[in-house]
Amino acid sequence: MTTTYRPGQPIWCSGCGHYGVQGALKYALTALNISACDTMILSGIGCSGTMQNNLGTYGYHTMHGRVLPTATGTALANPDLTVIAAGGDGDGYAIGAGHFVHALKRNPSLVYIVMNNGTYGLTKGQDSPTKNGPKWAPAEEGFDAMMLGLSIASSSFLARGFSGDPKQLNSLMVKALEHARSGKGLALLEVMSPCVTYNDTYPEWDAMTRDVKTQDSYDSNDKATAFATCIRMKQSGQIPTGIIYQGEHPTLESAMVNPKLNKMSKLVKNNSGCQGELDAILNGYRI
Amino acid sequence: MNKYSTDVKSVVKKDNTPLACDDITVVTAGQGGDGSVTVITLLAWALAQRGLHLFSANDIASRIKGGHAAAALRSSRNYRGCLGDNVDILVAFDGEAIEKNGQYLGAESVVIYDTSRGPLPKKFIPDTTRIIEIPFSRFSVRELRRDLFKNCLGFGVLARVMGLSDEEAHASIRHRFKRLTAENIKPNIQALELGFEFAAGHKILTKEEAQSDHGLYKLPHLEREDRIMISGNDATAFGFLAAGGRFFAGYPITPATDIMNWLEKRLPAFGGVVIQGEDELAAINMAIGAALSGAKAMTASSGPGIALMQESVGHCGSAEIPLVIVDCQRAGPSTGMPTKLEQNDLGMLTQGSNGDFPHIVLSPGSPQECFDYGVLATNLSQAAQCPVYIALDGLCQFTYTIPAFDLGDVKIDNGKRLTDEQLAKMSEYQRYAITEDGISPFAVPGQPGGMNLVTGNERNPWGLVSTDPVNRVAMMDKRARKIESVKHQLPIGYIWGDDNAKVGVICMGMIGDVLTEASERLAEKNIAVRCHRPRTLWPILDDTIEFVRECERVYVVECNDSGQLARLIKGAGAPADKIESILQYDGLFMRPGSLVNAILEKEKAL
Repeated sequence: MTTTYRPGQPIWCSGCGHYGVQGALKYALTALNISACDTMILSGIGCSGTMQNNLGTYGYHTMHGRVLPTATGTALANPDLTVIAAGGDGDGYAIGAGHFVHALKRNPSLVYIVMNNGTYGLTKGQDSPTKNGPKWAPAEEGFDAMMLGLSIASSSFLARGFSGDPKQLNSLMVKALEHARSGKGLALLEVMSPCVTYNDTYPEWDAMTRDVKTQDSYDSNDKATAFATCIRMKQSGQIPTGIIYQGEHPTLESAMVNPKLNKMSKLVKNNSGCQGELDAILNGYRI
Repeated sequence: MNKYSTDVKSVVKKDNTPLACDDITVVTAGQGGDGSVTVITLLAWALAQRGLHLFSANDIASRIKGGHAAAALRSSRNYRGCLGDNVDILVAFDGEAIEKNGQYLGAESVVIYDTSRGPLPKKFIPDTTRIIEIPFSRFSVRELRRDLFKNCLGFGVLARVMGLSDEEAHASIRHRFKRLTAENIKPNIQALELGFEFAAGHKILTKEEAQSDHGLYKLPHLEREDRIMISGNDATAFGFLAAGGRFFAGYPITPATDIMNWLEKRLPAFGGVVIQGEDELAAINMAIGAALSGAKAMTASSGPGIALMQESVGHCGSAEIPLVIVDCQRAGPSTGMPTKLEQNDLGMLTQGSNGDFPHIVLSPGSPQECFDYGVLATNLSQAAQCPVYIALDGLCQFTYTIPAFDLGDVKIDNGKRLTDEQLAKMSEYQRYAITEDGISPFAVPGQPGGMNLVTGNERNPWGLVSTDPVNRVAMMDKRARKIESVKHQLPIGYIWGDDNAKVGVICMGMIGDVLTEASERLAEKNIAVRCHRPRTLWPILDDTIEFVRECERVYVVECNDSGQLARLIKGAGAPADKIESILQYDGLFMRPGSLVNAILEKEKAL
């Protein structure tokens, strides 16, 4: 048995919402019996960008804002892996916003966990893109990833949880992993995860979060009603949680990766398997 | 590859005797879409069948359609990897083509001009130019109902002027359009025949000239060798593929897009993937994600895109991620002149990202080297687990005839990539283990027992973030040692010219072949030079410094405004007082004649 790194201890303040997220992820990996060696956790930069250190899996600390393209590259190179991207709302919705839109558009089979705490904790409390009326731009409305996700035709799994509701969060995490691992596409799980130091919103979010299941005739397979319901809930001061949307759409890798041919991540020592194809390319240049 | 000889100058004799010609440059020019490139392609194939060496370059405006577009083809008995000083034959589809290219016409050059868009602007050409005026476009529309056949019509006239036989011209058309049905080839053949008729009936060509099989020129028939005609971009992409490269992510940018297009067509059949990112940041990070997972990965861009990627390149260096990055340099700064030539990213490639990190910059000077360094960069990235740049310049889009690549010669290096069996035998696995050569064994996700943490933060051998000063120094030293460990694999400079010369000339990339020709002409003027073309730009290797030391004075020739290569070489320890720069930054090709003149001027001023 090869000894590998000893999982790190979280660096978070006690009471941080991220403990709940990590707990749910650990619960889901165990519940689905996913082995550590087949799991790649990629994290962004910020407080949330340390979760990959704590679970004993393969882990990669990506560049700020780039967790989604990196995770997409990993998922394409080795579709057998369970690929989990995890980052904060600043990482995903500000510096990484362009990638966020395009990842939803492409629908690669991976899980993306966004820990939304409405603040930049690690740099000591600047307002983040989800904050309503940030200090420097009071007229600005916070960004809502679920609403954006619903507006993208190829999004296939949109869910929101709350660190203060571990039961719901555990269940959402399992469903997100199942979605991605069964090759159904990108599972976006946003977790309302309060920052106890700079944006302690536990009581507020506890009161505001409401599972969409509680809404009359909510159909999580219908983007139009989901959109309308979520807007109404927001207008009445609620934060919709639960499975906002789950549906089917072709995935990125289904069109791009040929599972029979793809040995990209395997160690290949020479060209004996493809010499004929290489020769044919060269022939095309003969003049 | 370069053979030295004095080329026979191309001169058209006035007495209608075709002149033996060993080195001829043909330019076709007009608006984008006129078919300039097609005419050159047709001609290239015909001349290649005669065993001539070819060099071709396009000059195209940065817009989808229209804009001035020119294609140049130099064909010669001996290998020439650049354009000569003069244009011998100019096929011009409009007046702008004359205005832009007239300056390169020699006293005896031939102009074949399409009068459909207006009269020939004679003030841009020498009085002695032989002119053949034909309304290609009007005639093509009248006879074949489509403007687009004017390119084959023009080729017919050109073939006559150059003394190609009917069979050679026909064969070239059949080859070029081999994918078309016989019915669709027909109008092209008709256009060619119309071109022949025009040439025969035209007063500039005598009947004998036009009907003989040697027109105004008599080009040699040489023994054909096994050659390919390929661009630097294609050769680089091919090298990457041959070295086991399987993942490419890019974002369109002139002139690097060819690489993405090339791989997009071919990688899927090898089980690989090409993906277009939403921007350069996505492109390089997708490649990083794949590289981390064990795929051999590459991205390619040009100046502005490479600038966007800088943070990621430094990150690869820190996190020890193997990645190949191709920079198809173009004229900057900023958006600059996207379709024009420059060698101007050296500062960015050598010291562009924050902090000190190991990386390598390779600089090929021919398509053969592009292929070789495509292989080498892929191998080195694995061996040293770091980013490796391939710095291309104009040669990325030039095409050259060269001997066919030896694919059997390609070796694949997986560096310290661990097999599952090796991993299982290890008592512990540390991704960033401190080793003597600085290179740590590499396990990728999916391998049992290889779980590890990769980060751009400073970290301890296990990959856990650490700011411990002792660890910090050990890690920085370890990473620096990697380059020392692979240094013996880095290509040293290519040296040629006169070993005993006091005057040295240094250049890089596409300038190499220009310097070859310039140095031959200087030798004829009794000025001996020795030449050195560094092929690794980071780190600058000792042989380059040694070259400067051995010379009395050294001219560093490069296409940028500040002498970036000279600065690099001085910075690496070469005696600065021996070095003088020769610079060109107008975006155009460097011509051997202008380099000769620049060196002569410097020598005279001593």
